[in-house]
Amino acid sequence: MTSVLTVRGVVKSYGPTPALRGVTLDVTEGEIVAVTGPSGCGKSTLLHCASGILRPDAGEVVYRGTRVDTLSETRRSRLRRTEFGVLFQFGHLVAELSAIENVALPLLLAGTGRREARTAALSWLDRLGVADLADVLPGEMSGGQQQRCALARALVTEPRVLFADEPTGALDTLSGEQVLGYLTRLARTQRTTVVLVTHDARVAGYADREVVLRDGEVDESGLGLARVPATDAGRGER
Amino acid sequence: MSTGHILLGLLAAGPVHGYELKRAYDQRLPHAKPLAFGQVYATLSRLERDGLVAFAGQDRDGGPDRTSFRLTDRGRAALDAWLGEVEPPAPHVTSVLLAKVVIALLAAGVDRARNYLVAQQRAHSARLRELTTIKTDPGATLGDVIAADYAIAHLDADLRWLRTTVDRVVDLHREVRS
Amino acid sequence: MSPLTLYRLARAGTRTDTLRMTMTAVSATLATLTLLAAATVLAIPGGSPGDGSQGWSPQYRNPLLVEPGLRPGVALALVLLTVPVLALAGQCGRLGAPARDRRLAALRLAGATPGQAVAVATAETGGASALGAVLGLAAYLVGRVLAGHPGADGKLALPTDVLPAPWALVAICLGVPLLASAAAALLLRRVAWTPFGVVRRVRRRPPRPWPGMLIALGVAAFAGLTPLLRFANRHHLDGTKLIPTMLFGGGLLASLGVVVGTGWLSHAAGRLLHRGARRPAALLAARRLVADPWSNSRTLAALLTAVIFGSGAAAVRAWFATEFAVRDDVARWRAAQAGQPFVAGAGAASDDFYFRSLDLVDTAVAAAIAIAAAGMLVAIAEGVVSRRRAYAALVATGIPRGVLARSILWQTLAPTAIALLVALGVGVALVRGIVTESRAGGYDERICTAGAACGDPSRAADVVTILHVPEFVRAVPVPVTDLALLGVGALAAVVLVTGVGLLVLRSSTAVEELRSA
Repeated sequence: MTSVLTVRGVVKSYGPTPALRGVTLDVTEGEIVAVTGPSGCGKSTLLHCASGILRPDAGEVVYRGTRVDTLSETRRSRLRRTEFGVLFQFGHLVAELSAIENVALPLLLAGTGRREARTAALSWLDRLGVADLADVLPGEMSGGQQQRCALARALVTEPRVLFADEPTGALDTLSGEQVLGYLTRLARTQRTTVVLVTHDARVAGYADREVVLRDGEVDESGLGLARVPATDAGRGER
Repeated sequence: MSTGHILLGLLAAGPVHGYELKRAYDQRLPHAKPLAFGQVYATLSRLERDGLVAFAGQDRDGGPDRTSFRLTDRGRAALDAWLGEVEPPAPHVTSVLLAKVVIALLAAGVDRARNYLVAQQRAHSARLRELTTIKTDPGATLGDVIAADYAIAHLDADLRWLRTTVDRVVDLHREVRS
Repeated sequence: MSPLTLYRLARAGTRTDTLRMTMTAVSATLATLTLLAAATVLAIPGGSPGDGSQGWSPQYRNPLLVEPGLRPGVALALVLLTVPVLALAGQCGRLGAPARDRRLAALRLAGATPGQAVAVATAETGGASALGAVLGLAAYLVGRVLAGHPGADGKLALPTDVLPAPWALVAICLGVPLLASAAAALLLRRVAWTPFGVVRRVRRRPPRPWPGMLIALGVAAFAGLTPLLRFANRHHLDGTKLIPTMLFGGGLLASLGVVVGTGWLSHAAGRLLHRGARRPAALLAARRLVADPWSNSRTLAALLTAVIFGSGAAAVRAWFATEFAVRDDVARWRAAQAGQPFVAGAGAASDDFYFRSLDLVDTAVAAAIAIAAAGMLVAIAEGVVSRRRAYAALVATGIPRGVLARSILWQTLAPTAIALLVALGVGVALVRGIVTESRAGGYDERICTAGAACGDPSRAADVVTILHVPEFVRAVPVPVTDLALLGVGALAAVVLVTGVGLLVLRSSTAVEELRSA
């Protein structure tokens, strides 16, 4: 069990508002970690810092021995494209491109040949059961289909780590379940590490482990316990 | 008396004998509280007494006596009536969980109650993960999935209630102390 | 990223994107044509100024083309005409930009580097303007063949008999798209496409009135010209090289000051409006002006530049008129002295030439105002469309569309009216910095009526009478009527354009806008 991604003492503020007050998280290879907590607890910010989308104000993010937070924006983009996959609540598919073009996009941006990229994209669409939508624009698909295309796009580069932020937040229960089913199954067969951010206990149920965030800190007590002075907790034990 | 109605429902497809009835029960409601053989036979005889089921015959191929039962017209009517009847939505708030939290707050104080709540949440989450694993197993039957869904939805509701309660307890604690 | 991928990504888009690219191409075509025209004028063979009639090109009908000394001015005017065209192109670049920004953000999310996102956006502009430049060249080549026949008087209306040097053609056709791409990349510098959408790095500090300094410097450059030339004369220095530098530099500084100063003007107008506003429409407008005073200066830049030119031309016209009037004063006095009837308009032909040239400048200004107004239309419509969710939400909460329309009208007109006044004032001030009065006369004239004997110095005292011509002075008036006409015209253009732009408000405030994610 080797650690693949380590977040150490990460602090991030938006203006005067602190979103993360020093979060430490260690993710081992191949595991599925759920990051949960009430809205505004900083879980999305943690995902953005860990995936190199945002640069933390303090602390470090290490991916396989490389400091991610100190890399340039261009290098981080490249890292996200090659080693990481990202999946958000709204697929963020490019509305003007067809499903297959959307899925092929990360490969094309990386300079893969057009034909090769399309073949790979089609095979991933097929694995997610949406191969028949290859030439359809995102606007013409249901939310679940869009999200499956987005998942195909996140996985097409065969990332080591998949970051998913409320991937089923906009879907009905059954579509969401389908997406999560595909996500976990494919992640386990590919040995892809997954960091799954959600506020939903049922979504977190798909993970191997749950980390609870509250007010920008990891809630060590377990599940969503409000911060209480340590003395109180100690007295409770006696 | 829902056990009786469930057996009536399982008999609706055609005559079945007691042993098969028990098997069908276990298969259709896999994660329910297990039903004992004795209970099956006791219920069947009560149903027979009330004229809801009738003997359909006996066979004996190298084992104990096997008595088949079939649904009577009255039985079918009773089953229809039960299926058409709306279950009263949570008429009484009765839950060991709730009772325990209330009593813990009364008898042992806020800290104790909070520690209990945290531990209970952990247990709930672990169970929820377990059920999700069962549900997502490729070999899971529809019955498995539906039953797991039911349990997951309830655990989820419990978890949300537990979380809110923890927050309330902590707020209460703060208020009392400040 | 392969060029093919770049092409596919740059081309992906909706109808608005197609419209933007078409408009970019059209602007590039216009700019190319104007620049080619300027190059053609410069390519007319003919000596440098001062050659006398040797360098004249009598084959043209237009006197501005015939005299070599005037051609650089014509070319400069043509080049300056590309400024509003380029401003129009800049406005068109914002058409449908929110959708493009969303697309680029999605690209970034898919792993595109910031450089790749900018490359996609720039490729779009570059490609469209390259196409436009080629079209412009084609139109130019076809046009010069079609218009290449002399008229009934055997003269050419346009210099269709010369072609600029091949390197000039190539430079223009390559330069326009390159310049457009560079401008696009420069404009996108402030825009960072994060994977979550666009973060425009907004300037938080309210604008300061320092652009006023630029205006002052520009006017000072004009005002300082005469004393400087006098100083150069006294010290026997060649001051002629100073003239274009000071005029061009001063004009540029003043125009820049007006354009940049509009940010402060908008902010100040917003604050004033906020203090005085009682009605919701004015309040909304005031809030928005204070929140983003720069959007107006971007929108108004081309219009204000044109107005500065226009008011400058009006002031020059007033100056010329005064100059001719004073000359006529002298002629009238001398006619009276000689006992001859005064024939007005002795120099009318040349006066006419000057005024015709100024008419050309006015036409160019009118064209520039029209182009600038088109740019404003695009900007206003785009502004409404990009804020459609906010507007739709306001309409949904029961605010009448009329209030929104009035607020947009306020928001456009309040700073525009003030900025127009400043631009008019600056244009006039520039010219009045050089000259405020015309003088003629005030010299002694030797009059000799003795015919051949006049050449004999020894008899000078007998045959030559000295006539003292008194000095006539007239103050150059401020051309109030012309300025009012120009100002009202520009304002009318803005009102018209805002009215047309408001037409998109109805479709943009449909409550359905709230539903789209």
